[in-house]
Order: sequence, then structure tokens, then C-alpha cells
Amino acid sequence: MKLHSARLAVCSWLLMVGAAASLLYAGKYNPAVEIGMKAPTFSKLPATDGKNYSMSDFKEDVLVIVFLANHCPWVRGGEPDLIKLVNDYKGKSVRFVGIGVNLRQDDALPAMKERAQKAGYNFIYLHDASQESGRKYGATHTPEYFVLNKERRIVYTGLLTNSPALMEGSKPRYTNGPPTQFYVRDAIDAALAGKMPAVTETRSQGCVVEYSQR
Amino acid sequence: MKTLRPAAVFALTPLVCLLLSCRSKSPPARTPDLQPLTFEQWQQRLASLKGQIVVVDVWATWCGPCIERFPHMVQLYHQYKDRGVTFISLSVDDREDKQALENARAFLRKQNATFPNYLMNENILQSFDKLDIQSVPDVFIYDRSGRRRYFLNGNDPNHQFTVKDVDNAIASLVAEQ
Repeated sequence: MKLHSARLAVCSWLLMVGAAASLLYAGKYNPAVEIGMKAPTFSKLPATDGKNYSMSDFKEDVLVIVFLANHCPWVRGGEPDLIKLVNDYKGKSVRFVGIGVNLRQDDALPAMKERAQKAGYNFIYLHDASQESGRKYGATHTPEYFVLNKERRIVYTGLLTNSPALMEGSKPRYTNGPPTQFYVRDAIDAALAGKMPAVTETRSQGCVVEYSQR
Repeated sequence: MKTLRPAAVFALTPLVCLLLSCRSKSPPARTPDLQPLTFEQWQQRLASLKGQIVVVDVWATWCGPCIERFPHMVQLYHQYKDRGVTFISLSVDDREDKQALENARAFLRKQNATFPNYLMNENILQSFDKLDIQSVPDVFIYDRSGRRRYFLNGNDPNHQFTVKDVDNAIASLVAEQ
């Protein structure tokens, strides 16, 4: 009887610790990470340029990770602004990395290579067939942005701007008029200055990322 | 040219009606057209369905998983329609994208979605915010008292919903008396 009670107590304690841990690593909107925590790492992911990259390969002061998906009209709609953003920070210590974790054929590496070429991607575009990076970052929608500072702590997660663009036919359209808040740009500038941005988290929206069932 | 006399028309009418009705004894159920609703109208519509279990499939034509899942939702509709369960599809396609709306209509017809099909008549971001969703597919399931008991979504990488989850949720509400 005593042994049974002790087991119950241990189980309850473990449950409480588990619940506390899950609360500790969940943002206001993100189910897995919170602002200020050390960013999850990834290693040896294949890129559309034929090489493999690990997070430790990127030495810049600011690392911007964006989860993308070829098929997604929210990703396609946002491509011109993403490409412009990368160009705007050329010459500064900022690196942009896209990651695709979907397992659909039209989101797999060969299709990613085609898309990167056709759209003129000017950043490293990785594929993670294990989907582990997406799970660790709690990336459930595309496009979903993460801005990491020099210490590789997360300073921002969420949308690019307050008016995501949706590809309609062959033309992107801002869904809420021209953007007026540039969350990722502001977060990069803040991180370059060694500060936290005014907005650290927005609710990601877009296409759902499909994870395999465990 | 002579015109038909009213009496002749009157006499022929039953024959014409008979001929037309003979072509199909029980016409197949038609797919209701996509009906635009503002969020307020949507809430009123939901409120009017109190007393029934209501399953809402929130979808969009740009959403691959929605398209793949939709036929299974139609199957569930046939499985549960005579057991006090109402199915509704709610599209969050961009109301300003005419091609998308045309695609949505064609898709619903092809899927034989003979339940009510609505379109959120709001700016697409407003639709997301008012429905409190981040993406699609989502499934809302309301119990007979009109309370939303299930919000099935893909917002957690380790707990994304499946068709089986939808089936189980409906079955559990049907079993409640």
C-alpha cells in the first residue's frame, strides 16, 4: 500500500514537472519555443545548392530562419518581399535560411530546387525530411519566421509583416492593404543593435505544415 | 402562325409535367451553392442550429490538406446525417479572388457536398481572426446545446488532427443523451 502511494506521488510529481516544462517552452502563440530561449539547432541538412548545412555554419550576428513550402500560396505571395529583405541586408552581418519540412512531393528537394531557381531565391534553402527542425521550432505554418540574435537566442517569431501577401493567380496581393508593420525587419535591426524588438511574437498564419503522425 | 389557346395549354400542362418527372424518379441531391456570410450572420446561423450536433469543416481551395481531407468529410456526413448531426463547410477563400471562388464552387459540386456550403464574407485576415484560426483545415464540432466542444486543428506539430479524430469526436457526442 505504501509502495502504491509512493508510486502515485512520483507519477503526480513527474506530471507536474512535465506540465511546467511544456509551459516553460511555449510562447504566447508558438507551441514549442519562447522568446529569449536558445534556438534549437539543426545539422547537415541538404540545400538546393547541393551542399549540406548545419546551424553552426552560419557565423553572422543575426540568423533569420523561415519555414517555407513550395506549394503554399502564402509563401509564393511573400516571396518578392522576402527576396527584397535579403537584398536590403546584403553587406550586413545577417544570414537568411529557408527550411522546408513538408514531405509532399511538390515540397521535396527536387521541387525546391526548381522553385528556388524560378523565384530567384537569394538565400540558403534547406530540406529537413526528418521534420525535426520544424517540430523543435514549433513551426506549424508557412511562411513562419524566426529571428535569432548573436547568442542564437530567439528574439522574434511569427509573420513577416501585418499584411501577409497571398498569391492569386500569378500575382501576389496584400491581404490587408500595404503593410504598415515590418516585424522581421524591426527584429533584425533590434538584434543587430543588441536589443529586443518592440514586437517579439505574432501569431503565424498561412498554410499548415503537415507533420507525420508519431 | 396560330398561338395556343389557354385551354390547350392548361390541358397539356399535366402531360408535360408527367414527361419531365418521368425523366428522374428521385433527382440526386444538389450541391447548395457557396453562400457568403459575414461573421455575425455565421454566428446567427450557428445559433439557429441548436439542438443538433454541428460539424463545421473550415477549408480553402489553396489548402492541399483540405482538398485531400474533404472527401472523407463527405463520407462522415453520409455516416452521421441521419443521427442528428448537421455538416457544414465554411470556406475562407479570399472573397476578392474570383477564380478561387469559381474553383471552390466546382470542387464542392465534384465532391457532391450536398450540405450547406458557406463562404466567409470578410477580409481573409479578418476571417482568420474572427474565427480564431491560424490556417486550415480546422474542424469545429458543436454539441446539441450549441457549445463548441472540439476545435481540431494543426497548430501543434505533435498533435495535428486526423479524420479518425473527427469521427471519434462526432461519435462521442452522438452517444451523449
